[in-house]
Amino acid sequence: MTRLHALWLKESIALLRDRHGLLALFIMPTVFILVMTMALRDAFSPGASIDAAYVVVDLDRSPHSAALLKRLDQGVSFRRLAPPADPQAARQGIADGRQVLALILPQGFGERLLAPAGADGQPTAPLQLFTDPALSPALQLAFRNQVMAALGAVRADELSQRAGLLFGLPVKPGAAVQRDWPDEIVSLAVGKAGSLRPPSSVQQNVPAWLIFAMFFVVIPVSAIFIIERQQGTLQRLRAMGLPFHLVLAGKLLPFFVVNQLQAVLMVLVGIFLVPLFGSEALELPGSLPLLLNAWAVAAAVSLAAVAFALLVASLARTAEQATVIGGVGNILMGAIGGIMVPKFVMPAAMQQLAAWSPMAWGLEGFHIVMLRHGGFADILPSLARLLAFAAAALLLAVWLNHRSLAAR
Amino acid sequence: MLAIDGVSFRYRETGPAALDAVSLDVPAGAVYGLLGPNGAGKTTLISLLAGLLAPRGGTITLDGRPLAEARAANRRAIALVPQDYAFYPMLTAGENLRFFAGVLGLQGGEARRQVDAAITFARLEQVVGQRAEQLSGGLRRRLNLAIGLLGKPQLLLLDEPTVGVDPQSRRFLLDAIAGLPAAGTTVIYTSHYMEEVEAICQRIAIIDHGRVLAEGALADLLASPRPQLDIELDGPLPAELAERYAASAQGNCKFRLFLPSTAALAGLLDQLAAAGCGVRQLSLGRHDLEQLFMQLTSRSLRD
Repeated sequence: MTRLHALWLKESIALLRDRHGLLALFIMPTVFILVMTMALRDAFSPGASIDAAYVVVDLDRSPHSAALLKRLDQGVSFRRLAPPADPQAARQGIADGRQVLALILPQGFGERLLAPAGADGQPTAPLQLFTDPALSPALQLAFRNQVMAALGAVRADELSQRAGLLFGLPVKPGAAVQRDWPDEIVSLAVGKAGSLRPPSSVQQNVPAWLIFAMFFVVIPVSAIFIIERQQGTLQRLRAMGLPFHLVLAGKLLPFFVVNQLQAVLMVLVGIFLVPLFGSEALELPGSLPLLLNAWAVAAAVSLAAVAFALLVASLARTAEQATVIGGVGNILMGAIGGIMVPKFVMPAAMQQLAAWSPMAWGLEGFHIVMLRHGGFADILPSLARLLAFAAAALLLAVWLNHRSLAAR
Repeated sequence: MLAIDGVSFRYRETGPAALDAVSLDVPAGAVYGLLGPNGAGKTTLISLLAGLLAPRGGTITLDGRPLAEARAANRRAIALVPQDYAFYPMLTAGENLRFFAGVLGLQGGEARRQVDAAITFARLEQVVGQRAEQLSGGLRRRLNLAIGLLGKPQLLLLDEPTVGVDPQSRRFLLDAIAGLPAAGTTVIYTSHYMEEVEAICQRIAIIDHGRVLAEGALADLLASPRPQLDIELDGPLPAELAERYAASAQGNCKFRLFLPSTAALAGLLDQLAAAGCGVRQLSLGRHDLEQLFMQLTSRSLRD
């Protein structure tokens, strides 16, 4: 115990004096959580405003065109600007970058609302949509669908107004053209304990960047390990009769504790700091078993991260090599594992690739606990993968070190 | 105390022998010098003694017990001071000493006493609180040595302990090491520096290509059967005397002569005086290690 205690104390002092290591472990993920939560805030909120502006040129100026505008204003996804004077001014506005979309309502729009083209021998002028060519096709399609939905609602209002009495619908004489229909859709994600709201960006980003930060123990772990190897300290420790498994155990516990401190800090950032920047606060699961499950995931991620760090430290000959192998390895695991780009926005092939990243296993575990409120059995596959990865990395590190010592 | 008998070692099955049937007998209470050029096998032998490598043939015993058994019985019996600064640069000198004391299993009062003794021995009192990376080369060597002494070892293995230090620190280190046998620690000392080995070692072994070329008490090895005289004159050596004493010029009025016996010295000095040659300096009777090594290997120790 004296020997392990000495090893833990040494690692702790060495880490406390490694400013770059501390920066990578504590400051970097805090900054990432704040920046990415701000940047992705709207990507995780269905129906939240997209920063894309549009204008409507109403050439009809009828109650029906006004009803359509009112309907469009109810959708908060796009931002409507003050109308320009004519279609030409709307085109110019797109060219100048003031807006990315312009909808032109033709003259006679209201009059021919219920008259399909050619139905009465008269042509019906179409609605025109001017678009910025740089606007993503997905947003163009979303806007078109929003207009179509608003148009359908205005037609339904008009139909029910005109034919309501005929079909026995409740119609109040002199009622407004536009009415409130029960057409609002509220998204509800399905969880274990009833219906839950979908994840916010802070709920995606805190666990994601926590996992990323945990894997960055590779920097301080390898820095100390490579100094020990290069300066002959490992040889001296062996000559003092210290078995290699104690050397590893001496590193595992301090960095495991560091990872748990990171977890506490990141959760506190999510709860207290993120709301100061205008996003909603992180919500932790409310029950003790769920909190314990979250800790189990954090512990498994930590073991995988420290074992990976020891493997990188054993593979690398110099601190520079360790920084490159560890840093690039982490970024790759983060990129394919849904840390930097959420997995659900990836194409199917990339999502399959994500299944190979230990960071994705950790994130899946956190999502099961925090979003779906899953039990221990639900996180078991994630835990098993992470622990198997940790064991394999540790065994490989031990084998590499034995081989390198034998070759001396 | 330490008996090495027919020890061989190869790093690869098919590679050359790093040690080839090496046999040495290291008595207790002495500083034993291992001398040899780079690649001679000194560090391999030290690694075998430190338990870092296992011999492929032969036996090593410490006080009559197989080395592995002796090490298992007392982990602190043998200590290694490697050539590298084998400690943590980001820790202070004191933290390093306390850490290695903990690794040796020393606790509480015993650990404190041993750390204090090591600090006093290496005169590190003024730098205990300084980070190791901020110490000078000489102080780092002293810290390296102090760590080796924490467990009060029976046998201390010093691998080139004075490389890269200033003359003052070297003098201090040599004096300190020379005093260790009196405190109960036998020392095996490897070095390139022949003056150091001559200064502090009572017995030496000369190793080259993994084989022991000579082994014994330093005085015996350096004594010549035919006394050799190195002499510096104030003028040329008369040709007749040069021929009689098989003289060879060493440059700048310096000559090496071989006398039939030490008693012949008085006669030679009379002959030089009669020839009008003044003697500035002379040395009789011993090789130095450089000459001995050249005689054994036909090459310089520093090659």
